[in-house]
Amino acid sequence: MPRQNPRSTASIGGHPIHAMLVSIPISCFVGTFFTDLVYWKTAIIMWANMSAWLLTVGLVVSILVVLAGLIDFLGDRRIRALRAAWIHGVGNALVIVLSIFNAFVHSRDAYTSVVPTGLILSGVVVLILAVTAWNGATLVYRHGVGVRPEDRA
Amino acid sequence: MTRAKLGLGAALLLALAACGPKPIDPHRQIGANPYLPDIHQYLVPPMLVPKITPWGGATPTVPSGLKIQALASGLKNPRSLYVLPNGDILVAEAGPPKTEINRPKEFIMSLVESQAHSKTKPGNRILLIRMTATGQPSAPTVFIDHLTSPFGMVLVGNDFYVADTNAVLKFPYQAGETTITALPVKLTDLPGGPIDHHWTKSLTASPDGTKLYAGVGSNSNITENGMPAELDRASVWEIDRATGARRLYATGLRNPNGLQFEPQTHVLWAVVNERDELGPDLVPDYLTSVKDGAFYGWPYSYYGQHVDPRVVPQRPDLVAKAIPPDYALSSHVAPLGLVFYNAANLPPAYRGGAFVGEHGSWDRSALNGYKVVYIPFQNGRPNGMAQDVVTGFLGSDNTVRGRPVGLAIDTAGGLLIADDVGGAVWRVTAAP
Repeated sequence: MPRQNPRSTASIGGHPIHAMLVSIPISCFVGTFFTDLVYWKTAIIMWANMSAWLLTVGLVVSILVVLAGLIDFLGDRRIRALRAAWIHGVGNALVIVLSIFNAFVHSRDAYTSVVPTGLILSGVVVLILAVTAWNGATLVYRHGVGVRPEDRA
Repeated sequence: MTRAKLGLGAALLLALAACGPKPIDPHRQIGANPYLPDIHQYLVPPMLVPKITPWGGATPTVPSGLKIQALASGLKNPRSLYVLPNGDILVAEAGPPKTEINRPKEFIMSLVESQAHSKTKPGNRILLIRMTATGQPSAPTVFIDHLTSPFGMVLVGNDFYVADTNAVLKFPYQAGETTITALPVKLTDLPGGPIDHHWTKSLTASPDGTKLYAGVGSNSNITENGMPAELDRASVWEIDRATGARRLYATGLRNPNGLQFEPQTHVLWAVVNERDELGPDLVPDYLTSVKDGAFYGWPYSYYGQHVDPRVVPQRPDLVAKAIPPDYALSSHVAPLGLVFYNAANLPPAYRGGAFVGEHGSWDRSALNGYKVVYIPFQNGRPNGMAQDVVTGFLGSDNTVRGRPVGLAIDTAGGLLIADDVGGAVWRVTAAP
């Protein structure tokens, strides 16, 4: 009898919503760090504006990503039993909180909307994302979260 | 656990938004040497936007010895006033031009700020009010229609000039006319859209009538729309009336309005809106003489050499030559109207000095402004503490009935006040 994988509760046609959408905020928050770096060095305001939009879009899409992730987490006891799932959840909660702060810092006008606080926050978020994304991959590729059993046959 | 973390984060955020310096007594920032606290950059700027309540039958309040009455009501965003030599009173109805959204913040701010402005669609025209023989005002009629956010007005001889937000226009005028339908001639372009952050272009003429002076506000709070957007802005332009040629008369004035020549010394004065988001008590708005060739700091510094850390690259060479303004009015009062009182109707205590119309704050946790103040002058210089003259625009519990903007003196010596939110023109005279 094949081993049952932990199930994704928030899914469409067997495709977990969390995995579908999570790349959007990750790209936005990593992008924010790079546009912040360019603004720090050039002081060309377009880059700071780009950071503000990336942060906003990242946070808005995160609402869905967090909801889908929470539903999966609460929907299957076997997910909650995984240490990687806890690291993933707590780490990304920190990412969201820091990014909300960062969005407010980026709402300031001109240079101090990025340098130094915004740039530091963007950088810290990227570091945390490196850990949480690794753990997210662990959940899927090692523990098979959301992977259908027949796919592993 | 994740949800608890998020809740904690939200609570922390609210706590951080609430912290910050408490507003000081605005009187400490009135006069030649205002107290300037340390810079405080907010995480969330405090936005206190008053609720609008119609005047109904009520009027603003004046001290004993004065009386106030409505000259007109039900107007669409009356913002500035001008009195023609025959006594006809002109009222420019104007609102901001449509602007583009560059950042998520601007989208949210435009929603918030719209709460404190009149819901009426502005007229974008100039109205005329004539006093009848019995001393009653006529119903306003249209003097010039189809303008583009008009603000400044000045008559020189038979040439009537209007400062639209994007150009100075010249109209032919004959004494006694109540409407102008002739097409204007453009004297010069002014910096307008597509951003046009500070759009009110104040206008006056030199005493000899050869030059016009236009106030051109900055295109941002503090360069957040980029330096290229600030070309020829935050300055007072001197425009040659014969040729339309222009030069920057003075620079570094973030949003200069109420351009007026002091009648005794023939020196140009303006009221200036200073920068936001450095704290509830930075930076004080001011009244100043406008000196030829002078630099007043914006964006690099304020009140002389107080450097603004938000501006990069900095210009120490310009900061070094920045001069402080003459008279601080306290922070975020948003002065938009200025008029010197040289007539004889009001009691002697109000003669020889300047009235300033303070539109009022929206980014300070204790509201400031929302009144007309009088600043005594001696030998062409401010001399003494500003006094509240016309108040009552702001009710208790932070409701607002009106917001004073442009000021003028009519030919009988009455003080006229344009009230954009209240949709009214008020007239202050000596009590009988």
